[in-house]
Parts: sequence; structure tokens; C-alpha cells
Amino acid sequence: MAVRGGAARGVDAVWERAPERLRASADAVRRLRAERGIHFAPVRHHSPACAVAVRTAIEELRPAVVLIEGPEEFTRLIPDLLHEATRPPVAVLSLGGPGAASSTRDGARARTRHDDTGDRDGGEGAGFYPLASFSPEWVALRAGHDVGAELVFIDRSFGERSVEERAASAGDGGSGVPDSTRAPDGVDAPGGVGAPDGVGRSGTAPPDPFARTLMSERYLAHSEAVAALARRLGCRDHDEVWDQLFEARASAELTDWRTVFDDVFAWSALARLDYEEGVLAGEGSLDREARMAARITETVARLAEGDVDGGVGGSADDIRPVLVVTGAFHTLALVEALIGAPEGAPIRDRQPEGGYGPVAQGEAWLVRNDHERLDGLRGYGAGMPSPGYYERLHAAHLRELGSTPSSDEDGPVGARALVTEVLVDIARGAAERGHAVSLPQVSSAAESAVRLAELRERAFPCRTDLLDAVRSCYVQDDGGVGGPGEPERPLGLAVAEVFGGRSLGDVPPGSASPPLVRDVRERVRAVRLAIDDSVPRTARLDARRTASHRAKRQVLALLDFVGAGFGQLVSGPDHVAGRGLGLITEEWQYCWTPLVEARLVEMVHLGATLDAVAVARLHAAEARLAGTAASTASVAVAARLVAQTLVIGMGAHLPRIVALLRSTLDTDRDLDSVVSGARQLLGLWQARVELGAEEQAGELLDLVSQALATAAYLVSDLGKVRAEDEDAAVGTLVGLRALLRDAAAAGGTSAAGDATAAGNASAVSGAWADGEARGVPGPERDEDGVGTAARAAVVRELARLRDEDGTAPAVAGALLALGFTDGEVSDDVLITRVRGALAAGADPATAVRFLGGVMRAAPDLILHTPEMFDAVDDALRVLDGDAFLAVLPDLRRAFTWLRPTETHRLAKRVAERTGARVEQVDVRVALSEDDLAKGLALDHELAAVLRRDGLAHWAAGAGAVTTRGEA
Amino acid sequence: MTITGTTTGTTEPGVEIRPPAEIRYAAELATLDAWDTERGHERPPGWRLSPRAVRAFIIGSPELGVTRKFYGDDPLVDRAVVSLMGRQGLMLVGEPGTAKSMLSELLSAAVSGSSTLTVQGTAGTTEDHVRYSWNYALLVSEGPSERSLVPSPVCTGMREGQVVRFEEITRCAPEIQDTLVSILSEKQLMVPELGPDARVAARPGFTVIATANLKDRGVHEMSAALKRRFSFETVAPVRDRAFEIELVQRQLEAELGPAFGWGGDRPEVPLDVLEVLVTVFQDLRTGSTREGAPVKRPETVMSTAEAVNVAVAASLEARYLGDGTVTAAEVARQIAGVALKGEEEDARRLRHYVDNVVRERARADARWKAFFTAAEPLWR
Repeated sequence: MAVRGGAARGVDAVWERAPERLRASADAVRRLRAERGIHFAPVRHHSPACAVAVRTAIEELRPAVVLIEGPEEFTRLIPDLLHEATRPPVAVLSLGGPGAASSTRDGARARTRHDDTGDRDGGEGAGFYPLASFSPEWVALRAGHDVGAELVFIDRSFGERSVEERAASAGDGGSGVPDSTRAPDGVDAPGGVGAPDGVGRSGTAPPDPFARTLMSERYLAHSEAVAALARRLGCRDHDEVWDQLFEARASAELTDWRTVFDDVFAWSALARLDYEEGVLAGEGSLDREARMAARITETVARLAEGDVDGGVGGSADDIRPVLVVTGAFHTLALVEALIGAPEGAPIRDRQPEGGYGPVAQGEAWLVRNDHERLDGLRGYGAGMPSPGYYERLHAAHLRELGSTPSSDEDGPVGARALVTEVLVDIARGAAERGHAVSLPQVSSAAESAVRLAELRERAFPCRTDLLDAVRSCYVQDDGGVGGPGEPERPLGLAVAEVFGGRSLGDVPPGSASPPLVRDVRERVRAVRLAIDDSVPRTARLDARRTASHRAKRQVLALLDFVGAGFGQLVSGPDHVAGRGLGLITEEWQYCWTPLVEARLVEMVHLGATLDAVAVARLHAAEARLAGTAASTASVAVAARLVAQTLVIGMGAHLPRIVALLRSTLDTDRDLDSVVSGARQLLGLWQARVELGAEEQAGELLDLVSQALATAAYLVSDLGKVRAEDEDAAVGTLVGLRALLRDAAAAGGTSAAGDATAAGNASAVSGAWADGEARGVPGPERDEDGVGTAARAAVVRELARLRDEDGTAPAVAGALLALGFTDGEVSDDVLITRVRGALAAGADPATAVRFLGGVMRAAPDLILHTPEMFDAVDDALRVLDGDAFLAVLPDLRRAFTWLRPTETHRLAKRVAERTGARVEQVDVRVALSEDDLAKGLALDHELAAVLRRDGLAHWAAGAGAVTTRGEA
Repeated sequence: MTITGTTTGTTEPGVEIRPPAEIRYAAELATLDAWDTERGHERPPGWRLSPRAVRAFIIGSPELGVTRKFYGDDPLVDRAVVSLMGRQGLMLVGEPGTAKSMLSELLSAAVSGSSTLTVQGTAGTTEDHVRYSWNYALLVSEGPSERSLVPSPVCTGMREGQVVRFEEITRCAPEIQDTLVSILSEKQLMVPELGPDARVAARPGFTVIATANLKDRGVHEMSAALKRRFSFETVAPVRDRAFEIELVQRQLEAELGPAFGWGGDRPEVPLDVLEVLVTVFQDLRTGSTREGAPVKRPETVMSTAEAVNVAVAASLEARYLGDGTVTAAEVARQIAGVALKGEEEDARRLRHYVDNVVRERARADARWKAFFTAAEPLWR
């Protein structure tokens, strides 16, 4: 197979240096074509260049049969796929047969780990086979149908694939997964479920923390090789390398399909050589290739037999051609297996003696798809980045070649013309969002794109040239475009819209998608919740002690989370809202109504399984959170999302949300939010057993520790609060102190011992001292609690704030009281400070705010510390009447923090001091504050009148008790 | 009037502290020129080299023996080269110390063979610096004439068809900046004093590379009209620690000469102290330590340029006030003075950093302990 001066630089050189094995295979390709009529179309999935080449090949060859890589049970769906109402992007959703164990990538893994009853049958390991208008497989189907070819999917049935294989394929589908199972060019992977997709498992393909490591060294080797190649070609990543080599060809060049396929073959065969047989076998690639090779042979034989007219002559003219459209990664193997080369032995040996027999059956559904799920940048492993752009590129190619479907005739003709359209659309999109782009900017961007393409030796401006042109010409400050990891900017959104695309596919009416509904039914049934009638039921669950209850709770919470309207929590601990955390049992009401099914059907586009839907929802929530401006990002909100994730048993997705939370921790300026977030996290840690989140326990504690560090930073803000915010500040302070105490008790290996040790208040300061003395560098968990260093920092900051002048009085009071309770402030200091704050001459309002802080933080202080009582008493006695009245409301509130029994004891003390009876002091009257104020004012007036009339002695006794007794 | 030792493009390397790029890399430029000729690369009008050769000059080409001079963002270089071919000028923006000026010097050296047509923007830059001024003695004796006109670098660049650099353009008052507006759009400069039709017309190859800082204190706004005449490129801060250490070392030598051991009289800044310095700057710049612990990021720009300033100040302190050795303690004290520009919130952020990150590191590492001991009292 000679390479005819491929337009792209690089490929020729690659071919020149090709190892002997490749040269031999090139010869084999020629022989297969001539002798047996087998034509190969090696493709990269979702490559417009390959799609154009496939179309031309089919139109020119007019093959009798088009064989397509894709589970063979999909053949049944071909009529649906060809249906005129079917509009890409669509996807074929495949579910494992009954024999398949669960290994859906995201949810199921996590679930089987946490869910004790997770051995549900079937419905798992869904595979997702997306087809876009620019997918070579889609074009093969449509163009093949147009020339009257028989269309057959030939890959191994999804249902037959082993758990490992599916796991590998699942890994392939996800983005975050290192390309361990991917060929460097993304040409499809040995592990790709073979689907043109390399199969992103059902639903969206979010990055998953549980990346396979089956071939991690391979991955490194690959990335090394690709990086080296990218450097040589001046490309930034392997996608750009692909663009440079293939997508940058002009329409006319692409119609030279033999050259295109030869080049793709050369390119991917080299990648193939990097893989060892063992790896390919373990992943199921060899099994799949064995099946495909066998089906190709069968097809060719069938054609030869059935061809009664022409006979089975030896001349190539009599042979009716067969076109084989597969991921380029498999082509070398198929060629070697079919030609009988020694390297093909591992594949031939796998084929059963009597052939594979009839086509495997399996469940598969045609579903709508959208570009978001196709975007390589957004997480779909075998996808190309920027599906929106590639769709336009493909359409532009077709228009230039004059093979456009009639509905799609308007638009740029040819890839060069596309440049302006894309740039104008981005400009328009940016303008709609408030970033004006002028006409000269658009034209200079177009010029710049063309020059960049020239500089990079491309026939026309490709994806990266356009993006660079936008960056050069549309940005007029130093803020960049905005994008992942950066704040969203109008221009970035416009680029995402144009390059990401918005297309939503359509499937023929009547092709419903029951997998999700079935999955939910099975999951609900698996945890023994009744769904056979629509009678409302109540489930009382003790998730803390009973594993099966935990499973039930999880399913109920999961359905609640996705919004299926199945059940709701009536009572019990709500870890998300942070309510009822002390309760042991929880009560759910649930009911399987038709409405539930209807809602599930509405969610079908989000995923084929409940987990996939939940993951999609989770992503949406994450995106919302990530989208909030840094100034309003709230740790408390992020912590809630963490709670939500754990409650629905999606612990596997925690790392992303944790990362989000971490960044929020960095920007949140609200101590209260940080403290309440940290307390929620600590609460989750405490409930880790009942939530099945033992694995995440360490992570949670790390977060708490980070939150403590942030809190330390923010503590000093408390000193500066305005008077009206003092209450909230003191509340935060009390929460922070509780957090410190709980954190000190948490985490250790000897939790029990620590808990008791931490029970006493000095543990907080003790930990601090310990941390210093032992010189433990680790900022994280120690034997004596979480984030020793961070806690120490908080304590330090609190002490600093306490001793600072100018700290808001209520905060100062609360700090003093807490410091005393924790043994950090001595009796003397306390009394001196309290007397100082309440001394005669002090502003009564400030003094009362100070007292309010003390009372809120440690209400019983006044009972247990006689000196304190004296100090307060003295202070109140010296107040003159007007001042007293002015501060009275605050004063009253300060004393409401006492429990009734404490109030009673205090009343006794006051009575002793004033010589009145307790009943006179501790009176509970149902009066409003206004009533009281009015009464007092009246009293005061009366006293004034009496004084004026020389009758002051009348009011002396009782009046004194009433006023002072309020204390 | 002549300035003693005024240099022209012909000075031998080694005589100047820092000869311009076209002299330092004369051999590489010649190689690239030959390469262009050999390959028949097209050179845009007025350019000494082809765009491809300009790119190779900056990002290096092992095959041609051309060293890499700018790290980290190759597409940025592509875009910059392409922008220079267009009608607009090129505006390099970014924090101080991101090698903007270096990039502009390299680009103009490669494109025009000269990087010395430079306007150094300050608050005192006047229109004369951008347009032309007069030799007043000649003006008085001869009246306005070609001879008495003193051209600005911009004026010369237009005449010769060369790239003109405008450094720190945002430090000039907006009305001075705007002098460029009509020059860039009309590509000509009117000289009414010499007659109604007198003008300097730009020859092909003329363009302006400006560098600017949009966020720093004390910089001016840029008018929308001027912005429209530039392609903007943001140069990101250096991320690589070793590269930044190297940059600081190099700058230190440029400012204070070689260290003791190398025949100079500057106290040497040991590598491990530089490491502390660069680590502090990187931590505070990125908002996270290398271990991933979050750090509060100060408002002050923690640029490489500032790191150099700290290193210089620490060296001076060690030499004149200390015992001649630069330790982490000097660095800590100088960071307080040099990097902090009196922003109260920044002091608090740094205190937080010292209190948490540095405190932890100080437990295991003597250098950090020195830093901590010196820094702690500063932030009370």
C-alpha cells in the first residue's frame, strides 16, 4: 500500500520509517482488496475527514456489504437508524445481558462498594454508542443504504463481554481516565467497547476518580511519544496532531479516500505496535477482533456463494466489494488475521472451530443524544473535542463536494469559507452576552486565522487556528478568553457554544427508552421496597445499625435527589439540611405511581441508569456551584453538596466536589459559612458508618482541617463587625468553638479515648500545646484530633482577637467567656475585664453588648462565678434610670440564654442580694416587650411625678426591686 | 551633544552589560536567514526573516542549533508572529516579570534585525518622544528643516520599515498613548512644521510592539481607540520553579554584577535561599503551596520582577548591614518591605501564610526556621 504523497506533513515520514511488519501488512491490504474484495476503511471515531472519505469510498465502490464495528446485536436496530425521523446526534444504548455482572463505571462501582445488597441482576454495564452526523459510522450507514448495500454490525456482542472488558471500556469512555486504554490518537481503543465510541458508558461520562491502572506504564509511554510528536509538529496535544495530519486536508483531498485511509492506517498501526498481546487480550480487544475477522470471512464467503450469476471466478472484477469500517486501531490486527500472517495467530486461535454461529442478541435502544455528550473536552473518551465545530466542518466539506442533503444547503462551502462563519458566530454569541466584537476585529481574526494556518503549514485554518485567532483579535485586555478553570466570560461562553455545539438529536417516535425505568424498578425492588401497587407506604429505617436499611435509605435518597418523586423523608436525621442529626431512626413515605415512571422517562436523556442520572444531576449541581462568582461562593453550600453526594451513596464522585469545596474555601470570606460548612463535614464524618462513607472519612477530615485553617484566617473579621451583626458574630464564635471541640475529638486512631479526653474543655488548648511541643509537621490528622496545626492557629487568632482593643464588645465578651470556660483566661483576668467593660462611666450600650456576648457564650458563668455576679450587679446598680431603660431590651435578651432552672437560681441569688422574695424576681408573665417597656416608662413617669410632689419615699422600696430585679 | 559611550548596533559583545538581542544572537539570526534563503521561505515585506524563522528563533529549533529563548506558551508565540504581519500592533500584557519585554525584544530583533527602536514609557513621556522633536540650536538658526528635526524611535521605525517597541505603554498618560492611534491606523506621521505636505510615511515592516500592565497600581487606562489598534496577548507568569530561580539569578547578576566567588563584590545568594524566596513567591502567586495547601493570595503582584527586587535588597542588606551572607532571614525582612505595598489586607494574608505554612515548614527545615524567626515579629 503505497502512500501517495499525503498532503499532511508527517505521515509520509512515518510510513518511510515503518517497521517491516507494517510494510508486510500494507502488502496484505492490497492482496485482500484484489483477491477477496475486502476494502478497509480505518477511521477515527467522529472524524469529519474520515466521514468524507467513507462516503466517497462507498459511492465509488458501491459495495455489496458494509461491515461496521459495533456490537452485532445493533444490526437489529438498523431500520430505526435509517428511519427518516432519526436525526443525529443519536446513540445506541446497550445493556449487558443477564449474565453480566455490574460494572457501570461511575455509579455502580461506588454502589457495589457501599451497598450491601448491591447484587442486583442485569441492567448494568450499559454501553453507549453515539453517532453524530460527522461520524464515519453514521455516514457508512446512510451512504451504504443509498447504494443499496447490506449493512451489518460485526463486533462482539456487548452482552458477551466480560466484566473486565467492560470495566476497561468504561474506563475508555471517561475523560478523566488517563488514556490508558486509548491509542494515542484516540483512534479507538483496544478496550473501546468497540463501539465507534470506545463506549462511554451510559449517560454522561464525567471524569472518574477510579481510573483504571491496567496499563498505566503504557499510558506514560504513549503520552511521551505523543508529546514528542506534538513537539516536533509544533502541536499542543494529540488532538491538534490529528488535526494537523488529517482534518487539515481540503475537501478534494479527502475524496482521495485511498490515500486518507492509507495514512490513517499507517498512523494507527504504529500506535498498535506499542501494545503487547497480553494487554490486548486482557482487555478483550483480541476477542473482538477475532469476532470481526470471522464475520468478515463469513460475509465474503456468503457473497461468493450467493453470487450465482457471476460465479466464483478468480478475477477481481467478479468480486463484489465489501467495505469494513472500523476504528483504525483494529485494522492492522484484522488484516493480519485475514491474510494468515503469523502475527494474526493470536486472533485466529481465538475463533471457535465451528464459527460464531448466529448473531448474538442483546438489548439495545436508540436514544437521543446531544453534543455535550460527544465532546472530547467535556469528558467523552473517544470523542473529538469541539463536536459543534466538527459538525460544521463536515457540512462545509459536503457542500463543497456537492453531496449535501437538501435540507442543509445553506452555509459555507468548503473549509476555508467556514472560517468566517465560525468567527462571525462567535462574535455574535459574545455580543449577545455583552462582549461586543467589531467588524474589523472579525476580519482581522479571519486574516489572523489564515496566517496562523500558513505558519503552521495547514491547508486551511483548523480548530486551534480559529481559537488562536479569537484569542488574538477578540480579546482586548489581559483577561483571556475564559474557560475551564477560569471565570466564565462572555467570549468563553460564545466559543463554547459554537465549538461545543448545541445539536440535539431525534429518534423515530415509538422507540421509547425503558432502560432507566427498568433500572430504577430493579433497584427499588432489590432493596425490598414495594412497588407493585401505588399505595403509599411508610418505611422506618435504622440506617446506623442495619445494612439493609442503609441500602433502602440510599435508594430512597437517590430517587429523591434525581427528582423522581418516589419517596420523601418524613422524620429522622437529614444530613443534607443538617436537621435531626441526633435521631437514630428515620421515616420515609414512598409510593410508586405512574407519575414516577413518567418523571423517569423525562430523565432518559440524562442516562440509562439511576446512577447515571444522579451523576448528571450531580454535575449540574457542581456546575451551578462552580458557576457562582467567587465573591458569593459559599463553603456552606459546597458542604451541603458534599453531604448530598454522600447521602445518595455517590462517594466515588466526591473528589471533584471536594476540589470544588477546596477552591471555595479559598475564596469564601464569610466565617459563618466556613464554620457551618466545617461542622457539617465533621457531622458527616461522625455519621460515616451509617452513610457508608468510611472510605471518604479521611478526605472529610482533611477538609475540616482546611476549613479550620481558613477559619483561622477569617477570625479577625469578627472583631470588626457592626453592632447589628454582633449577634450573628457571637453565634459564629460559639459554632467555631463547638467545631474546635468536635474536631479535637475526631479523627484519631484511638477515637474513644480521645473523645473523652476532648470532652473536657481544655482539650482545645491542650492540643495546641501538644502540637507545638511535639513538633509534628503534619497539618492533618493527629492522634488528638483533626488539623492540630489549624486548630492551634484558630486558637491563636481567637486569643489575639480577645486581647485586641477595638474588638466588637459582644465578640470580646463572648471570647472572654469562652476563654475562661476553656481555661485559657484566669479568674482574675475575667473579672478585671468584666468589671472594666461594665465600669461606671462606660457607655451603657457597649457594656450591655459586652455582657450579651458573655451571656450568649457561657450563660452559666454568672451563676458559677460569684465575682462575675457581683461585677454585673454593681454595674447595673450604678446605671441611672434612663440609661437602664435604653439598654433594657438588650439586657433582657442577654439573660434569655439561661435555662429556666438557671434563671430560677439566678433569681434566688438576686433576691438574696436585694432582700426581695424569689417569686418577686423570677416572674414569668406573658407580656410583650412593648408592654413591658410601656409599663416601665409609666412606672418611671409615676416615680417622677411622685418625686416632684415630694413623695419620693413612696416609690423607694418596690420600685427598686422591680427595676433592678429584672436582672 | 554626544553621550559618552552611546552605543550603536555595532558594539562588540562583552563591552556592554547587556547587548541587544540582535547582537547576542547574531549567529543564530544568520543561520535562520540562510535557512530561509535555502528553503525559499517567503518573507513578508520589510521582514528580515520569514514568520517560520521568527518562530524558530524564539521557541528554538534543535535541528538548526537555535536555542529556545521563551518557555511555556508556543501558541502565544505563533499568535504574536501572526499579529505582527497584520495591520494592528501587538500588545503584550501581563504581570511584571513575565518576560514580556524579552519577548518583544526577541520579536523585533528577529523581524527587523533591531530591537533598539524603543520608547520607554513613563509618566514623563511626552508627545515628542512618540513623534519628533527639534534640535533647538538648529531650529533657531535654520528654522524647521529635515536637519533640525530629531526623529523619535517611532518616526525612525516608520522611515526604515522596522518594528518599534513601546515599553510600559500604560505608564504614559492616555493622551500621550493616543498619539499612536492615528500613526497606527494611517501609517503616516504629519510634520506640519516642514510644510503642509510634509509627512513621514511608514514603509512595510513598520509595526509597534507595546508591553503593558493593566492591573498594576499607578498605570493609566488605555483608550478604546488605542485598544482597537492592537492585538492583545496575555503573557502568563512563570510556573516552573527551576526556571524562575534561574531567571532571578540572571537578573541579580545583571543588577549587582557577579558574586564574590566569581570575581565580583556582591554577596552570593545561596541556591537554597533562592529556593525559599522563589517558593514563597510561587506559593503566594498561585494561591497554593506545592503540597497543595491553599494560601491566601495577596493583592500585590508577586511577580518574578518583585522576587528579583527582594533578592537585590536582601543582598544589599547582607552586604552593608549584615555579615555578608544572604540568609532566609534577610529575604523575609525584605519581602515585608519590597513586596508589601502598604495594603493592610495583604499584611494579613502574609501573616496567615507565615503563621501557617512557614510555621509548619520551619519545624523541619533550618532555612524556613530562619525565615520564620525573622518574619514572625514583622507581622504582628
